[in-house]
Amino acid sequence: MLEIDNLVAGYGAVPVLHEVSIKLGAGEAIGLLGANNAGKTTLINALSGMVTPMSGRILFEGQDVTHLSPKRRVELGIVQVPEGRMIFPEMSIRENLLLGGINARARPKRPHRIDEVLELFPRLKERLSQHAGTLSGGEQQMLAIGRGLMAEAKLLMLDEPSLGLSPLFVQYIFEIIDRLHAAGLTILLVEQNLMLTLRHAQRCYVLERGHIAVEGSAEHVRDDPRTRSAYLGL
Amino acid sequence: MIELWQAMAQGVLIGSTYGLLALGMGLVYGVSGVVNFSHGDFISLGMFMCLALYSALSLDPYVSAIITVPVMTVIGALVYRYLIRPMVGHQFLMVVQLTLGLSLVLQNGILMVFGGQPARTPSMVDSKLIILGDVVLRVPHVIAFVVSFALAIGLFVMLRSTDFGRSIRAVHQNAHAAALMGIDVSRVQVLTFALGIGILAIAAALLLPGTPIQPTQGLRYTVITLLVVVLGGMTNFVGIMLGGLIIGIAEAFGTIYLSETLGALMPYMIFVVIMLFRPQGLTWRSPR
Repeated sequence: MLEIDNLVAGYGAVPVLHEVSIKLGAGEAIGLLGANNAGKTTLINALSGMVTPMSGRILFEGQDVTHLSPKRRVELGIVQVPEGRMIFPEMSIRENLLLGGINARARPKRPHRIDEVLELFPRLKERLSQHAGTLSGGEQQMLAIGRGLMAEAKLLMLDEPSLGLSPLFVQYIFEIIDRLHAAGLTILLVEQNLMLTLRHAQRCYVLERGHIAVEGSAEHVRDDPRTRSAYLGL
Repeated sequence: MIELWQAMAQGVLIGSTYGLLALGMGLVYGVSGVVNFSHGDFISLGMFMCLALYSALSLDPYVSAIITVPVMTVIGALVYRYLIRPMVGHQFLMVVQLTLGLSLVLQNGILMVFGGQPARTPSMVDSKLIILGDVVLRVPHVIAFVVSFALAIGLFVMLRSTDFGRSIRAVHQNAHAAALMGIDVSRVQVLTFALGIGILAIAAALLLPGTPIQPTQGLRYTVITLLVVVLGGMTNFVGIMLGGLIIGIAEAFGTIYLSETLGALMPYMIFVVIMLFRPQGLTWRSPR
């Protein structure tokens, strides 16, 4: 479904990612691991079109999307749930969800989709007209994921969904991710939390200073000593 | 006592239009961080376009608005797209410089075409009055009030309940997240600026009847608009309308109770006093 070929990307003239190649099949859930500054967020921002690649290629469902605008990519179904949630704090939960589905492909399906999302997150249903800024961190993460689902995502990219959440909420959010995966959604999970990601992803890639250091099944990545060194920066 | 009510009424009527002027500026600031120092000169442009339409076709300013609004909206879109956008993201002062320069260009352009003599654009309602007890209201002021509030309410509803309005608010609250939703952020910025300039065309027609105009007046409107926007807390909708009323009332009180010259000072004095005690603006919530 997604094929990244030798992608080089970064900010200004300085590349953060060096020839990264990743493959992701339809219905797969893969993990993208790495320490701070390894280039994880740069990678998914390049996938979203927020960072312009310097070289390399991104194919989505066979189509070259390397130079498409962020808007076009969302319309194709490449949807990001950003790090730190980035919900719209001064808007109601309902408005946040409606904005999630504002792209041309999702807009006609919004009335129906919003019911499904609220069924998945009953806590949001109770607070529908409340300002999103008043939600707890965990509820904001639910909203951010809900917003991503409203966009009719085919590939849902979650950037650090566990960040700043209590253990109970982390467990809940990952159960939701498992359910979405079981329902057929393709998932790219970006995480710092190694053990958590290994439990919920089928395959993982470990990024180290912009290179793929390790890749393979969850067990393989767990047992590979390079994983540990990538994390410790040795 | 009669004077008090007279000043009050006049201030509220004119203040509503000041509020409308400032809403345009506030919206633009909210989505692109741009403070347009040529705001008042665009009002001038709108007014002189009405004057030209009167001279050529004897159109009433209210009728001319049908022509000036779309023209100014397109001008606004072009100005943002080709002049302001290349500057956004650079030093904040570059945009200030640019819009100040634009102000001089507009001012002198108008001067070249129309000359420096104060001009009037007659309207059929020019000298019509409404008398409520002891208070005398000029019909153009009443029209300005009704239209300004209707437009403000229309804008408010648009921002709350349409996809375009929600896009504007989304870009204001978090432009990065808005882009991730598939919103074309720069398109929203262009359209908002165009909308802001289009509103000015309406405000120009509302302020025009009975008011002599001259090419150098733009700065005064820019400053009044800035006062109102700052009073309103930059992007707070209700705060801006309230700010417009306060500035309008201050001006009316000054003109009626003091002299014409001192009256013109009143809005600034009130502004300084309010800012001393409420630097965050009139409303209680943070601007975001």
